[in-house]
Amino acid sequence: MVSTIKHYVSVASCWARLAVQRQLEYPLFLFSWLLMIPIQYFSGIWMLKIIVDRFQALNGWDFPQLTFLYGLGLISHGIFVVFFINTWSIDHMVINGGFDRLLLRPMNVFFQLVASYVNFIGLIDCIPGVIIFLYGADIAGFDWTLANIGKLILVLIGGILIRAALFTSLGTIAFWTKRNGSMVGFALTMLERATMYPLSMYPYFLQALFTFIIPIGFISFYPAAEFLNADSGGLDLPLSFALWTPLVGVICFLIAGGIFKFGMRNYESAGS
Amino acid sequence: METVIEVKDLVKEYIIVKKESGLRGSIKSLLFPKKTKFNGVNGISFSIAPGEIVGYIGPNGAGKSTTIKMLTGILHPTSGSIKVCGISPQADRKAVVRKLGVVFGQRTQLYWDLRLGESFELLCRIYQIDQQAYDDNLAILTDVLKLQEFINTPVRQLSLGQRMRGDIAAAMLHSPSVLFLDEPTIGLDADAKHAIRNFIKEINRTRGVTVILTTHDLDDVEQLCSRIIVVNNGKLVEDGPIGSIIHKLTPHRLLVVELHEPADDLTTPHATVIKQEGLKIWYQFEKESISASELIAALSQKLPIQDISVKEPNVEDAIREVYKTTATR
Amino acid sequence: MLQAYWYITKMKLLVNLTYRFEVFTSVATNLILMLASVFLWQTAYKGGSGSVESLSLQDITTYTILSIIISTIFVCDVQNTIYYKIREGQIVTDFYRPIPLFACYLAEDIGEMLSSLLNRALPLVVFASIFFGIPWPASFGSFLLFLPSCLLSYAILWLLSALIGLIAFWVMELGNMGNVKDAIVRVLSGSIVPLWFFPESVQTVSKFLPFQYTYQTPLGIYIGNTSMSEALTSMAVQAVWIAVLYLILAAGWARTKKKTLIQGG
Repeated sequence: MVSTIKHYVSVASCWARLAVQRQLEYPLFLFSWLLMIPIQYFSGIWMLKIIVDRFQALNGWDFPQLTFLYGLGLISHGIFVVFFINTWSIDHMVINGGFDRLLLRPMNVFFQLVASYVNFIGLIDCIPGVIIFLYGADIAGFDWTLANIGKLILVLIGGILIRAALFTSLGTIAFWTKRNGSMVGFALTMLERATMYPLSMYPYFLQALFTFIIPIGFISFYPAAEFLNADSGGLDLPLSFALWTPLVGVICFLIAGGIFKFGMRNYESAGS
Repeated sequence: METVIEVKDLVKEYIIVKKESGLRGSIKSLLFPKKTKFNGVNGISFSIAPGEIVGYIGPNGAGKSTTIKMLTGILHPTSGSIKVCGISPQADRKAVVRKLGVVFGQRTQLYWDLRLGESFELLCRIYQIDQQAYDDNLAILTDVLKLQEFINTPVRQLSLGQRMRGDIAAAMLHSPSVLFLDEPTIGLDADAKHAIRNFIKEINRTRGVTVILTTHDLDDVEQLCSRIIVVNNGKLVEDGPIGSIIHKLTPHRLLVVELHEPADDLTTPHATVIKQEGLKIWYQFEKESISASELIAALSQKLPIQDISVKEPNVEDAIREVYKTTATR
Repeated sequence: MLQAYWYITKMKLLVNLTYRFEVFTSVATNLILMLASVFLWQTAYKGGSGSVESLSLQDITTYTILSIIISTIFVCDVQNTIYYKIREGQIVTDFYRPIPLFACYLAEDIGEMLSSLLNRALPLVVFASIFFGIPWPASFGSFLLFLPSCLLSYAILWLLSALIGLIAFWVMELGNMGNVKDAIVRVLSGSIVPLWFFPESVQTVSKFLPFQYTYQTPLGIYIGNTSMSEALTSMAVQAVWIAVLYLILAAGWARTKKKTLIQGG
């Protein structure tokens, strides 16, 4: 057991080092991302400010609270993109044979899929995320107590696991269809709208969907509502959601692991 | 008999979606895709002993790659059984792949933007190769495959031949007992082909590595393989030593005779004239019924012979013959 | 000559119709975007006075739905096409085609636009009608003005995209600047939030930029927020921008072509 963990850690760290080297081969390539990502997200929060200024708080969520939520959602997106971006390209790997290569190596296939590319470029998404979040935490009066910081870390981990579970499940479709690249855009849109805007804006049906079926409400909305004492919408749920997120995350991740295995079995039996 | 690979009644079924042409066809297949089944591999059985070099050949779409993918545990067969080193790759993939080295000639496992050596270091960790063993093994591979001149070059700057040598070294780092080579010499120049064939012979001789080779290059087969397995349309059509397959498929030989003056009667009871060009005559004869020397002796009795040569049928003729006779399903 | 362009357009149309999976997910993505945006506006309007900046909730709903629908039709792949072709080194083969490079890419984009009209925009119209009622235009007249204004919008967007494509010839290493441009267009075109809600100063600056004439102008005409005379003025401005951008593109292309042919791509 210990030696297995050592083996996996040693391979993962080697892959991470190689990934940095590969990304540093084309440093200028980052330039367009460095411009685009901040423009995209700062303008997103600016749009919210314009709406709140012209109209009213969104279902009781005022601008500071919206900023906190937006930032929290964006940070968890950013960290997710660093560690799990390969779940977006399962279809490519199936088509170009990269997936076959994973099957030829004596290690867990899902581990290889995820660990083989640590996308440090994703940290660019975290820059506006952290700025917006810190600003939001400041104006919304977030209490930086040790307990809150601990909760925040647990929430981020849980949220990232939920995202990873979602994209892994979607990526699994590629084992049947060989094409699912466009699912990524779909899921990203859905995630953005459900984690960076208050879920309580949507009809009960969607709130329930994003709480119980595809529990992405736990990524940032419920924790933010809990941290800031804001309105968590029509579904009154017990307990502190800040502690639910990691639990939901782990459960989702395990389910996604099962789905991935099922998809792999189909791939093995269907071929390409 | 001891075997490394044992395959029984292997079947792989595929489902394909038919696409129709034209605008109407596009819309139609958008709404109602038509699906049909067919067997890519249709009941193949064979076994391979340790230390053999086997050429696994067949025309495009014959089911070669599918079989290789099943043997290496990438795909699961629809039915039939596979044992590699006594283990089923479907039951214990990780145990089997430790003993395998696999090279796909058209796809590299090396990282495009990194130095060749860096990809090797990763493999060293993945296969948990002991540092001492890794160093020794790499030294030998570097020597035989002449990697030293480009081991510190980014893979994207390597020539195709260098990249292929790198890929083969990568597949051999963990000292596998079976090496699968899928089109290892495709697109390579004569020098690179030569280097790779030498390497295959070398590791087979010194380490007893079993090699399974799929290729369209019949020179590879002729120079390397003691045995060939020919598949067509998902079925095994020939299996045996090259010599006997050639003999079986093309029992004819040719005797080319050049006369120094025209002769009236060219016929002989032992051979048939299949072509004549001026003073040059081609005789076809059965290996079984008469030997070349007997035929020459018989002919020289009646014809003014200037020059004479015997043509052996080659692998290429034999293989073409197999493909032709087994082309229909 | 026109036949060649029509052939390119038709091929692109046919190819696109075979991408079944992409079509489903594209419709689903835009549907999510549409629902989420409309719900956002409904929340913003909830319990309020009924109309802000003379726009009612119905107006802004129609505006949002139409904005998303036309964004699926306005296909400007030219910036990505050029970027990837330069990166893969394929652009040279396109230089040797007997028809002009940009006209060729325009024909492709139009083919994609036609297929999008069928398999992306149409389903969205149906879904929008089911969820929020048919998004009628303010009047028949405004619909008649909306159509030519849309064409002008597309011309502006396509020319901007082509200009970004030109940039790729000079600074390929910097990545696809098209993404950066798209992020700016999304905000300043009023495609998400109409510029009428923006601070006064931003609105003033925006009047001198081409972006608001791509989405806000036709959409404003459609929901009747723009009077007839204002509409005609805006369309005249659209035309001016097309002329300006076309001239820049032509001049830029002449220089780029010379440079590329000398350096060999």
